[in-house]
Amino acid sequence: MSGRRAPLALLAIGVVTAATLTAIASSGHLPAAEAATTTFTPSADTHVDNSVPGTNYGTSGRLGVDGSPAKRLFLKFTVTGVTGTIGSAKLRVHTDDVSGATSPSGGTFRAMTDTTWSETGVTWNNQPAIDGATLGTLGSVARNAWYEVDVTAHVRANGTFSFGVTSTNTDGADYDSRETGATAPQLVITTGTTTTTTTPPAGGDPVLVGAGDISDSGSGDSATAALLDTIPGTVFTTGDNVYDSGTASEFASYYDPTWGRHKARTRPSPGNHDYNTSGATGYYNYFGTQAGPSGRGYYSYDLGNWHVVSLNSNISMSAGSAQEQWLRADLAASTKPCTAAYWHHPLFTSGANHAPSTATRPLFQALYDHNADLVLFGHNHQYERFAPQNPSGGLDTTRGIRTFVAGMGGASHYGFGTIRPNSEVRNSTAYGVLKLTLRSTSFDWRFVPVAGQTFTDSGTTACH
Amino acid sequence: MSTRVRLLITVLVAVLLAAVAVGYAALSRSGEPDEVASTTVTGPRLMVLTNGRVSTVSRSDPGGPREVGEQRCDRVYSAGGTTSCLRPVGAFKAGELAVLDAGLREVRTMPLTGFPNRTRVSDSGRMVAWTLFVDGHSYAANGFSTSTGILDTRTGTAVASLEEFTSTLDGAPATAADRNFWGVTFAADDNRFYATMSTGGHRYLMEGDFTARTLRSIADNVECPSLSPDGKRIAYKAAVNGDPRQGWRLSTLDLQSLEVRALAETRSVDDQPTWVDARTIAYGIQREDGVNDVWAVPADGSGSPVVLVPEAASPAPIG
Repeated sequence: MSGRRAPLALLAIGVVTAATLTAIASSGHLPAAEAATTTFTPSADTHVDNSVPGTNYGTSGRLGVDGSPAKRLFLKFTVTGVTGTIGSAKLRVHTDDVSGATSPSGGTFRAMTDTTWSETGVTWNNQPAIDGATLGTLGSVARNAWYEVDVTAHVRANGTFSFGVTSTNTDGADYDSRETGATAPQLVITTGTTTTTTTPPAGGDPVLVGAGDISDSGSGDSATAALLDTIPGTVFTTGDNVYDSGTASEFASYYDPTWGRHKARTRPSPGNHDYNTSGATGYYNYFGTQAGPSGRGYYSYDLGNWHVVSLNSNISMSAGSAQEQWLRADLAASTKPCTAAYWHHPLFTSGANHAPSTATRPLFQALYDHNADLVLFGHNHQYERFAPQNPSGGLDTTRGIRTFVAGMGGASHYGFGTIRPNSEVRNSTAYGVLKLTLRSTSFDWRFVPVAGQTFTDSGTTACH
Repeated sequence: MSTRVRLLITVLVAVLLAAVAVGYAALSRSGEPDEVASTTVTGPRLMVLTNGRVSTVSRSDPGGPREVGEQRCDRVYSAGGTTSCLRPVGAFKAGELAVLDAGLREVRTMPLTGFPNRTRVSDSGRMVAWTLFVDGHSYAANGFSTSTGILDTRTGTAVASLEEFTSTLDGAPATAADRNFWGVTFAADDNRFYATMSTGGHRYLMEGDFTARTLRSIADNVECPSLSPDGKRIAYKAAVNGDPRQGWRLSTLDLQSLEVRALAETRSVDDQPTWVDARTIAYGIQREDGVNDVWAVPADGSGSPVVLVPEAASPAPIG
């Protein structure tokens, strides 16, 4: 490990840095990952209740924290097998899926020195002292959602760590305990250099990686976010960043603890669910300038030899519309030899839930007229790759644009209907991200599946 | 406007229309999938879709020779000489219902908005029903909408949405705005029918009366009903633990006793099943790459599922 870290650190010097990002290995050029994420579940967790001071709740599925009657919860993790420097440690807790789980205060999380307490022995009367530093405080919590506290200050190496959570609010919160399995508390340890980069090391080609249809109360978004933890580059989204309504609280509860870890290197596009909040204000407020001019939703940027355009399929796209006119001017001004674009509603899809969105055709036509190479969609919750096509869907091996539906970011999958001409590869079962390596005169694509899934798809297409 | 200008406009419009027609024909050709082998099939048959093309196979050799026609549908059903075809949304037109005669010639179309999902024809061939996703969301997601209607091909009476009918839940009027209907199946009298009504997080089996324009609840957790040839049982998909997110178990319901029987198919089935005969239920299961197979399983809960027609969907017994 240490032998490989040095060159990466050297290469990272002088490139753009962003403090919230965790650095990772390059794609293809450095052979091994420099950073790794390991997730631990508690070795013990329980809560105690002042109103029943002699009772132990060690095997309960619930972890309560409350100001009155006072409840405190205790978590213990054993971190082992971590090599290298711990870059960050995030404590993640999930609220119960019951109405009483919600609270205006999710509690104050503190370190503890006592790591000898037993899950089945602790009661209010004999509880260990919550005597360490305050690590973080959660504000209001909704039901059935993940929340995250940065505990890097307490978890610096392998060992056993205790956390205590208290609240002074009389409306308590309830979290899922380790007995619940999938929604058990987590300690997510990321190791490796903390240097960060939004561009790859010299010699590497830029990477554009992402998906659409991402964050809800399920676990698919957590799994795809974990993939991003190990893939550098710029993150794209093809809309429906959160479900169902695009609210600020959905962005805070669902997106921020998962894909939000990579917000600083994300260039999103909005979907219809983001627009379920009027004007998509949840989306624009969350992403800020990362989403282009606020309220407009279309913008462009360059990566290496590529010009990349993020478009908005929730507003007018007709020929002559402001967006279509802007796109034609933007493409005309570009000096890059290769061009990619992405938006939410697919012009080409075999999905059984959303028909092809013909309203998007003027945007595709403008891209075709300017010799673009690659377009990414979302909306149907699945993966589909099409051969290069003209705007009418005819096979076009000369100037056609290769398209992907990359709606496998985390929302539950949809099926396929009649399979359309020129559809080359499909999958409706695996969550994952689409990793695009933007080479100087071509691009490589790779479907990267989440842990436990095996579907993949890869190839190369030359720029026109 | 002068005659000359008017004439010029007429000519221009004619040229434009011709250009559109040529363009459409060219596009249609470019959209042709690969030609598939087609063999004439006779006798008792099953109609299926072969990736959107109306096809027939022999019921005695359903995995054998296949007659693949030119009609294109996203969902099809056939009975009594009438074929109902939900046309795909095309490059230049919205979806529609096409009613085909025994020779698969188009005799009537109705424009429909949404994504084709289910269709049924009564045994006599008179009544035709359809379900489309309106907002395009799946059953598994919250907040999707469906549009379900019925056409009486004899009188021409069309009900655009079953929401127009008077519905009761356990005798009480059901008027909630969240009501959605899907999956119609017809009784032998060409008046009674069954369908699913979703409201308040439940999916009820409803019995409908087309003439009286009423629907009443029969049972909970019954989706996409399919009435048995003797009219006594419903084959359907039952949400596992009442939660569609956990998938669906293919089941039958005895309409007299309301006894539920889970069939031997343990994989999740998201389809409106079909009785290919009094003892056998057919249904589609999709592979992860979007290719479907038609499977069959005994209706009495015994046996195990077998592939009936590989690489096919939307089965209907005919002739």
